[in-house]
Amino acid sequence: MSDAMSRRERVVGLTSNLDTTLSAWFAVGVVLFLLQAGAVGTFFTGLIADFVGILPTADASGSLLASVTELFESLQRQSRSVPTLLSRDVVPNGGYWNGEEWVGTFLGLSPAVSWAIRVGLVYLYSLTWVAWAVFGYRYYRREIRVADWTPRDDMIDRFLSHKWGLFGAAIVFFFVVMAVFAPTLGPTTVEQNMRNSYAFEISYWNDQTQTVEQILVGEANLNSQSRGDLSRVMPMTYDEYGRFHPFGTMPNGRDLFTFIAAGSRISLVIGLLSVGVSALLAVSLALVAAYYKGRVDLGTVLISDGVMAMPQLLLLILLTTVLSESWVGNVYSGGFVLALIFAFTGWTYMWRSIRGPALQVSERAWIDAARSFGQRPRTIMRKHMLPYIIGYVLVYGSMTLGGAIIAISGLSFLGLGIAPPTPEWGRAINLGQDYVDTGSWHISLIPGALITLVVTGFNALGDGIRDAVDPQSDSESAAAGRGGGA
Amino acid sequence: MSRLTYLFKRVLMTIPVIWLGTTITWAAIYMGPIDPASRLLSQGQTRNPAAYEAAQTQLGLDQQPLEHYLDWMTSLVTFDLGQTWLLYEGSNVNSLILDFLPRTLLLGFWSVVIAILIGVPLGFYAGLHSNTMSDYFASFGGIVWRAMPNFWLAIMLLAVLSISPQVFGFQLNWETLFIEIDSISGSPDMSRIWTVDGFLEATKKVLPAAVVLGSASMGNEMRIGRTAMLEVRNEKYIDFARAKGVSDRALVWKHIFRNALIPLIPIITSEAFLLIGGSVLVETVFGINGVGWLFYQAAIQGDLPLVGTLMYIFILITVGINLAQDMLYTIIDPRVGLEGS
Repeated sequence: MSDAMSRRERVVGLTSNLDTTLSAWFAVGVVLFLLQAGAVGTFFTGLIADFVGILPTADASGSLLASVTELFESLQRQSRSVPTLLSRDVVPNGGYWNGEEWVGTFLGLSPAVSWAIRVGLVYLYSLTWVAWAVFGYRYYRREIRVADWTPRDDMIDRFLSHKWGLFGAAIVFFFVVMAVFAPTLGPTTVEQNMRNSYAFEISYWNDQTQTVEQILVGEANLNSQSRGDLSRVMPMTYDEYGRFHPFGTMPNGRDLFTFIAAGSRISLVIGLLSVGVSALLAVSLALVAAYYKGRVDLGTVLISDGVMAMPQLLLLILLTTVLSESWVGNVYSGGFVLALIFAFTGWTYMWRSIRGPALQVSERAWIDAARSFGQRPRTIMRKHMLPYIIGYVLVYGSMTLGGAIIAISGLSFLGLGIAPPTPEWGRAINLGQDYVDTGSWHISLIPGALITLVVTGFNALGDGIRDAVDPQSDSESAAAGRGGGA
Repeated sequence: MSRLTYLFKRVLMTIPVIWLGTTITWAAIYMGPIDPASRLLSQGQTRNPAAYEAAQTQLGLDQQPLEHYLDWMTSLVTFDLGQTWLLYEGSNVNSLILDFLPRTLLLGFWSVVIAILIGVPLGFYAGLHSNTMSDYFASFGGIVWRAMPNFWLAIMLLAVLSISPQVFGFQLNWETLFIEIDSISGSPDMSRIWTVDGFLEATKKVLPAAVVLGSASMGNEMRIGRTAMLEVRNEKYIDFARAKGVSDRALVWKHIFRNALIPLIPIITSEAFLLIGGSVLVETVFGINGVGWLFYQAAIQGDLPLVGTLMYIFILITVGINLAQDMLYTIIDPRVGLEGS
């Protein structure tokens, strides 16, 4: 890292040698993006429209905010009409059996196979992105960069030879892809299966009458509930209406996989937001305290001790209850305020872990040199201190993200946090709680096992990054990654 | 700086910490959008301004914020918050907490003990036999065990116990195993806790919950125990002792075991807040009427006296444990206090 400056200068001198490999690499990236551009647009315009629409004055017609909301909603409608490769329309799985063959599914294959093909395509597409990024990095390191070696190369090489860390990275990759492609991955949609199930009609093959009949999704759900031993739809089976359920159905007859996929997206968004905010708080406080020391340091110690003295989960319960009735409590189904609360109660753990490294860096000779050189404190912190602690932020960020997922699901298990119609993993566990010792054990078991897997993945990734950034360290992160004991 | 000055400074520093925590609790409920007065009244009464004002006066909500805050803080410090607003309406806060606290204490005690009794030996075993199959099995198991959400683990454990599974050929019936209890979940009977039978019964009742609550600590203690064991094992003085002809048994117990315990002490003490937080979910799933469950009920109803007192107690516990840990450190590692913190 020490020659980061000089390296940058050399790279600037080289940008003129854009060769064909590089342009081909760029072209592949653009093509990959265009395949999915519509979905990206839909997601972001929808998010902004939601956010603006929830602001206090957006209800009043004619106000600026209302028209802004409308603008983004119309943008969302437009971007929805842009064709994308990985949409449900290209590889549909919602067909019916007409007595001889499947109608409406992909190439007339069975719904299960069509769904599997779509999932395979999604992961193939995501893996292509990874391959693209890896190729780009390798090419940059080998051909474009002048320096043969930088300390950061060693970190990346160490990480790539860390099997446990790579295992974690793979799990995290699977989880992130699931969250990003949630609407595509589910065998049905949240809108059709949960929010508005009586507004949609499906066709199915009736065995008794030997004809194709119509039924509302809501009524079909009522007949495919998983409650106990007699009435249940187990994982990897079809229900009476020819609908395929990879994870079975929930007690209310809804598809568990669709629920979990949609829930993974909300967990990831909240987790990333809360870790981002707490990292920002922790890093800026650690840098300021390490630079000025003395009273500033003492002040931050006191504040963080004060926040830490209150058990995090209890504070989460208290604040989510208090804020659930305010306007900010409705943004993103309550997820936004949850992320903020999590950040403001959780930054202390990350701050504790990076305070030591920050203090060490502040003692180094180059900080003194920069100071006597007349550099402003902000510049010194950003340029000469931050690069040395950013690795630790990644380590604890990864572990805190796992903890956030546990804590959020724990809250929604209690019925707090994410408001009910929006899927969240903890609520699936709660709904299935009564049926665990019956034949419908899958409802609670699958989400819990997935949480365990994902949290293990984030912890393993954190371990891997820690060993890569600081091979000598044997510091164990006791509290991170536990979500306050949920 | 002498050890006494260090202690004095640490105690002084806890005062702003406690003040900050209690103030946040007060602000969250008093200033927040929850309206306890309207919850006290029935649907029809809420629209009756006279009844509403009466309810506000009854709860002391008509005071100026500053006045209310000062009143509240003084009575909090003296543990005198009077009666609850909504939960078990009108009962004395202190006696209510004293009623619920023993169950949580029993649960917490067993979860710490079980975690230490299982986690530490397993970690030391893994460290002594590092890089063998059993080490990998134990380490991986500990990592996964640590990542499981408590509430999910609790549900799964309850399910396994309630279906009486076949274990090694015989029926495992938890309710009648060794000591008979009336049901698998529920509150332990604390009235007979001082008799042998009563203690065993109550212990058996909270045992599954304690295993779940201690799961995270167990995993942590295992990991740290393993690392500590590995480190101590590779120290030069161990080689020296071996060269001197110290027997394997004495080597492990006298030289390795004792030194490997040192890094475990802060881990064990620092997990108190995990236990307090986790007790809410575990007590909810197992149906134990403890303070975690009480806090949850009080928080969702906006019962300021109860929430405040409970939070105050939790803060005192956390701060006290931190203080004890720091003092322990000055004994284990005398450099800490002397260099100045």
